[in-house]
Amino acid sequence: MNVVGTQLDNRYIVNEYNKYTILRLGGELNDAQAEQYLKEALPKIISSSFDLIINCEYLTKLSQSWLHALGATEQSIRKNNKGLRLILVRDDIKLLLVDKGLSRVLQVNTNLRDALLSLELVGKKSLDVGFINPFLDATLTVLKIQAQIGANAGKIYIRKDSSELSGDISGVIGLVSDSFSGNVIITFPEKTFLAMMSKMHGEEYTEINKENADGASELTNMIFGQAKITLNEQGYGIKTALPSLIVGKSHRFSGNKVELIVVVPFESELGNFFVEICLSDN
Amino acid sequence: MFDPKTRILIVDDMLSMRKMIIKMCKDMGYTDLIGAEDGDKAWEEIQKAEQPFGLVISDWNMPNCTGLDLLKRVRADAKFNKTPFLMLTAEAEGHQVAAAVTSGVDGYVVKPFAQTGLSEKMAAVHKKRAS
Repeated sequence: MNVVGTQLDNRYIVNEYNKYTILRLGGELNDAQAEQYLKEALPKIISSSFDLIINCEYLTKLSQSWLHALGATEQSIRKNNKGLRLILVRDDIKLLLVDKGLSRVLQVNTNLRDALLSLELVGKKSLDVGFINPFLDATLTVLKIQAQIGANAGKIYIRKDSSELSGDISGVIGLVSDSFSGNVIITFPEKTFLAMMSKMHGEEYTEINKENADGASELTNMIFGQAKITLNEQGYGIKTALPSLIVGKSHRFSGNKVELIVVVPFESELGNFFVEICLSDN
Repeated sequence: MFDPKTRILIVDDMLSMRKMIIKMCKDMGYTDLIGAEDGDKAWEEIQKAEQPFGLVISDWNMPNCTGLDLLKRVRADAKFNKTPFLMLTAEAEGHQVAAAVTSGVDGYVVKPFAQTGLSEKMAAVHKKRAS
């Protein structure tokens, strides 16, 4: 049985993103792995000249050899005038860092968003492409697999009016982590939505009604679930949430005070629709 | 693969998802398809059915009675405990899979899924039950 998930057992993985590198540590890493890391992975991390974020979500134990390896990593990163942050760190590992006198050099942030803000890689009123792309990819994947609908993403833009949505029916799901919150909204014009639901259900619809309306929240739920896997692998620490539905011409969304709304317009073979990512004041 | 006359119970709190699964099953050739909106309603359908269900396809996350609750009820009842059971979820977490396996699930489908994916999982459940 295949398990889709983000577990990382007794391994380390290095991934390079747009402006930073993420090192994921999982389980209990041994001395031989620390030696291998110093010999093979660290030189590559240093050569990238990016800031380094160490995702500790699945790290359960930090041995002496790995404390040494992380200390050596911090020194090398600092020589390059770059920053290093640890994210999603368990309390016992935080205490170990304090105990070993490493808490000042190995700085801990709550999650990836906090680390990117702290390293000044994003502003408070902006989003990294690494946050938006998983929603874009998840939207295309869900529509292709679940509905056999091809779509293309258009030019992303920022919307200032926080209340009026672009479509006639919207699925909304909370974007909740320990340090930021917001919503992901998938909003469809009536014509697009009815065409999609007609195709998915094999029934011809001429109006939005109780037979088809919850399709918007189901699609939103699936898109959120797919994107969440990728985002949490990076270290955003997003929690599970349940979708809700808003229906009506030029309907409005009243959430917390919104700091930023990023809109991704999509054009599909059945019409256009929008994915809106809203970040709020926490 | 299951006989096209197999009675299938499709359980999901989202009407849209039930309709989508029913369409997929119809396209595969199945004709005896019953929908239920949560685990409680599904359990009622299972108990009152004159002709027993040959397969249950149930969502995991539902209000009132979850897919796992329904699976446990089915497995705990001597009359129904051999019913093949396929679970659906939007996010397959390791602990969820472990809990479902412990409770006797026959297969697991992660949303989103295409008709071919569902068909393959159903075939695997049938093969497992037949062996």
